Amino acid sequence: MAEAATAPLATTKVRAATRKRTARERRHSLTGWLFIAPFGVVFVVFLVTPLAYAFYLSLFSKGLATGTAFAGINNYVRAFTDPSFLKGVWFVVRFSIVLIPVQMLVSLAAALVLDNLTNRFARFARLMIFLPYAVPAVIGALMWGFLYSPSFGPLEQIFGAFGADAPFLLSPDNIFYGLMNVVTWQWAGYYMIIIYAALRGIDPTIYEAAKIDGANSWQVALRIKIPMVRSALVLILVFALIGTLQFFTEPQVLGPVANGTITPDFTPNIYAFNLAFKYAQFNYASAISFSLGAIVFVGVYIFLFVTRKRGSVL
Amino acid sequence: MAIAAPTARKPRHVITYVFLGILVVYFLVPLWFLFVASTKDAPSLFGGDSALWFSGDFNLFTNLSNLVTYNDGIYLRWIGNSALYAFIGGLGATVLAVLAGYGFAKYRFRGRDLSFAILLGSVMVPLTALVIPTFVLFSELGLTDTIWAVILPSLLSPFGVYLMRVYAAEAVPDELLDAARVDGAGEFRTFFQVALPLMRPAVVTVLLLSVVGTWNNYFLPLAMLSNSQLYPITVGIGLWQGLAAQNNGGSGVSLWTLIIVGSLISIIPLIVAFLSLQKYWQGGLAIGSLK
Amino acid sequence: MKKKSLVAGLSAIAIVASLAACSGDGGGGEGGSNAKPTNCTNKIVNADAPVVSVWAWYPNMATVVDNFNNDHDDVQVCWTVAGQGADEYAKLQTAVSAGKGAPDVVMLETDQLVGFEIQEALVDISDLGANDVKKNFAEGSWGDVSQGDAVYAVPIDGGPMAMIYRKDIFEQYNITPPTTWEEYEAAAQTVKDAGGPWFGNLGSNVPAALTALFQQNGAVPFDYDLADPQKISINLDTPEIKEVMDYWAGLTEKGLIGTEDQFTTDYIAGVVGGKYATYVSAAWAPGYLTGAGVGQGDDAGLFAVAPLPQWDADNPVSVNWGGSALAVTTQASDKELAAKVALGLYADEASLTDGWKTQTIFPLNKDVLTSDEFVNNEVEFFGGQTANKDIYIPAADAYEGTTYSPFSVYYYAQLQAQLVKIAAGDVGGSQAATDLQDIIVKYAQEQGFTVE
Repeated sequence: MAEAATAPLATTKVRAATRKRTARERRHSLTGWLFIAPFGVVFVVFLVTPLAYAFYLSLFSKGLATGTAFAGINNYVRAFTDPSFLKGVWFVVRFSIVLIPVQMLVSLAAALVLDNLTNRFARFARLMIFLPYAVPAVIGALMWGFLYSPSFGPLEQIFGAFGADAPFLLSPDNIFYGLMNVVTWQWAGYYMIIIYAALRGIDPTIYEAAKIDGANSWQVALRIKIPMVRSALVLILVFALIGTLQFFTEPQVLGPVANGTITPDFTPNIYAFNLAFKYAQFNYASAISFSLGAIVFVGVYIFLFVTRKRGSVL
Repeated sequence: MAIAAPTARKPRHVITYVFLGILVVYFLVPLWFLFVASTKDAPSLFGGDSALWFSGDFNLFTNLSNLVTYNDGIYLRWIGNSALYAFIGGLGATVLAVLAGYGFAKYRFRGRDLSFAILLGSVMVPLTALVIPTFVLFSELGLTDTIWAVILPSLLSPFGVYLMRVYAAEAVPDELLDAARVDGAGEFRTFFQVALPLMRPAVVTVLLLSVVGTWNNYFLPLAMLSNSQLYPITVGIGLWQGLAAQNNGGSGVSLWTLIIVGSLISIIPLIVAFLSLQKYWQGGLAIGSLK
Repeated sequence: MKKKSLVAGLSAIAIVASLAACSGDGGGGEGGSNAKPTNCTNKIVNADAPVVSVWAWYPNMATVVDNFNNDHDDVQVCWTVAGQGADEYAKLQTAVSAGKGAPDVVMLETDQLVGFEIQEALVDISDLGANDVKKNFAEGSWGDVSQGDAVYAVPIDGGPMAMIYRKDIFEQYNITPPTTWEEYEAAAQTVKDAGGPWFGNLGSNVPAALTALFQQNGAVPFDYDLADPQKISINLDTPEIKEVMDYWAGLTEKGLIGTEDQFTTDYIAGVVGGKYATYVSAAWAPGYLTGAGVGQGDDAGLFAVAPLPQWDADNPVSVNWGGSALAVTTQASDKELAAKVALGLYADEASLTDGWKTQTIFPLNKDVLTSDEFVNNEVEFFGGQTANKDIYIPAADAYEGTTYSPFSVYYYAQLQAQLVKIAAGDVGGSQAATDLQDIIVKYAQEQGFTVE
């Protein structure tokens, strides 16, 4: 917001001195580009080019028994009528809708609680909650796979002590929750830290003012803190949404111990991976990748549009 | 009110601590399991009394020595690869992001707003969707199955640029830059001597984020590499898991114990990095959200 | 300009860093792209000889490779495990698509050969020495690696199927090994009624085993000939297949068998713990089970093997699950040398003996199959039973070969998905067969095949 406020001011200043400083300004402009150029090159080579190439590839088709042929939009027609792709999209969408609020709630609650405490235990707790972020998703998924095991996982032992059978969290009925747990474990701490950092950035005199007005801590949290970290929450939501829609690593790693629950078309990304690297269908896989990218882009854009307030950049 | 407050606060504090306690336990259980399991041999791993407590002999050191000798020490190689990819990829991405972020924040030039809008849009492009087209592209250039196939795409961090721009705009006052220019410093010297030191917290944050991103990456190296000598630790552990899940490879050493102890070792570097650098990144992470 | 200097700068950083990394872990070879000979799991014995790279996952591969390298001055094998089964095929497929990264010689199950042949990823080695060893193999197993006169791999092992069972459980519930599938179900019911364990298992991750059982009932799922590569006939909804699918779906539904995936640690723990009375599997199974710790300690000597139950006891049919071969890839730089490795690698007596003694392979080489030692071997895993003579050799002799589709990976994935649905009770056996037929036909058409 500060940026938005200062920019017009700066512009007018510059405009006033335009005639005198054109040469210097040209140099200034050139320097600006020089700063951006290295990233620009990487951006063009590793983002724009693959995207364009993916689109190009997706316009062709190649079967095992045929050569490459121009297909026009056929791959896209096929993708959006392909039950495998649609099922995968539906899964990640459903997953996002349930997962993200849960994740947000856990991380927001933890951040609010930690913001109120300043002792050693709170510092310890903050770091421990954050720790899973430093664990690669592959390893996190692997550990949970062990913990879920019906023969030697602790769940079975805990339930067994009460004479009950533990639910197998990777069965078709429970996989949703099994994965949700893994992802929440992995990311909630990271989101908590972002919210926490934003909370620490609030001017404490605002609380004093509220206290004087008779607000209790609950009211302070609900009426002041949460609105003040709104943009942090939006940022997290965007991250979580992008991350979940391209869900890949966790189901891929848990696949071998999930008794076939995690199919080759479980999520769109897994489907694209299998199409490309198991079935050698790079053209169709590119179309799937491109479609997924478009869906994520549009989804996030709509989300930002809905939550957008004047002045905020993201 | 002054009298009521302390009594009313007490039960709430208990609830708070219980809540925090539960969270800490939840987030630590898998790591605790990993540690306990690292001390077991295969029979007690699968037949032991408790998954969350020690049983059988203390085998941690045996497991460790098996880990570093198995397959001629391929595990160490994987760790080395991960470090290499994360270091170069993370450092490169950070350098690019710092330069570009500073450029966006402190220079006005034709096309800046459009470029930045495109950049913001690209934050929303799921990077894994690029893996397959990048693979095909690289395979035509003969770059697949090389370290570059993993490192080069890791240099791309639009979000890092965004963070740096936001931070530079706030933390580096224009007046200071102008003063340096008046003193006769060139643009680049101004950047290195005046702006860069002010941007340090954000630099550390972006560096950590990109190092973690590269270190944890799985999809990209999985797709790009077939030579197991080039695998990073994530793909390597994945390979072992695939073998172990289908009959354990049949050889003398239990792959599962190696997977467990290998996982434990592999998470230590990042945890150490985060714990030792916490005073930098904890502040830095708020940058993107304060806007 | 800018790009060049950027790349140059980055390369400089990278070189410094990789030097640092190398000195850090003791200089484990060069980290370059085509450092073929450095990434071996084994030791190279004769450093001067040219090196052929091999991907394989036979459990006793370390011994086999050492045997080969010690015997050869003119060529050395550099072996790695790129994954087992599907994982390795994905890696190979990736390398084929990229046009680089494939090994010179690769271990493939015979059902995977056609899929890579059609992509021209495998070399016809008939004139590179394969025809000379043809006489060592039975017609059925040779047929599995060849297309007409072309030969795309050297057969190493087969997977004649039989029924492994727990003697203790059979004794406890007073049953004898069933000879037909009807008896199998009846025995399963007996055990269940008496409160016993599951009688068997049909994991979703063994679609190849189920496909073999289709064939046992006379089904021919695919008819395909590389000579006419665009035509394929797909018959997955035939009465024979529906009968088999309904049978196994019925066993699942009645709770007579388990549906856990096989080979996993949970499954192995179940096998050790007596959770299953039988294990319908191939001749290589005991070796893999032993490697996973089954048949030692508490459950030592409890296993025995009986012939595969039949649909028609008067006309028994033998089928094959798994079994693999060594193929030469078209990416091999020296195809002749690679062929030499493919032909020689698992063909020496010491390796073959080690393989069959540990039961990690069921050899297809006739010299071994007919040797006294092999025939009369008293198998330790089966408590001294002469399993080769009684069960596996007759089964292998009766095997007539199979025609596979060029998209086995896809077909198995779809069959697996149907098995998951069956296990969850979402679909019946016949319906699954019908659905499978539709899916595979559609896929084949999308791939440009003419489906007959």
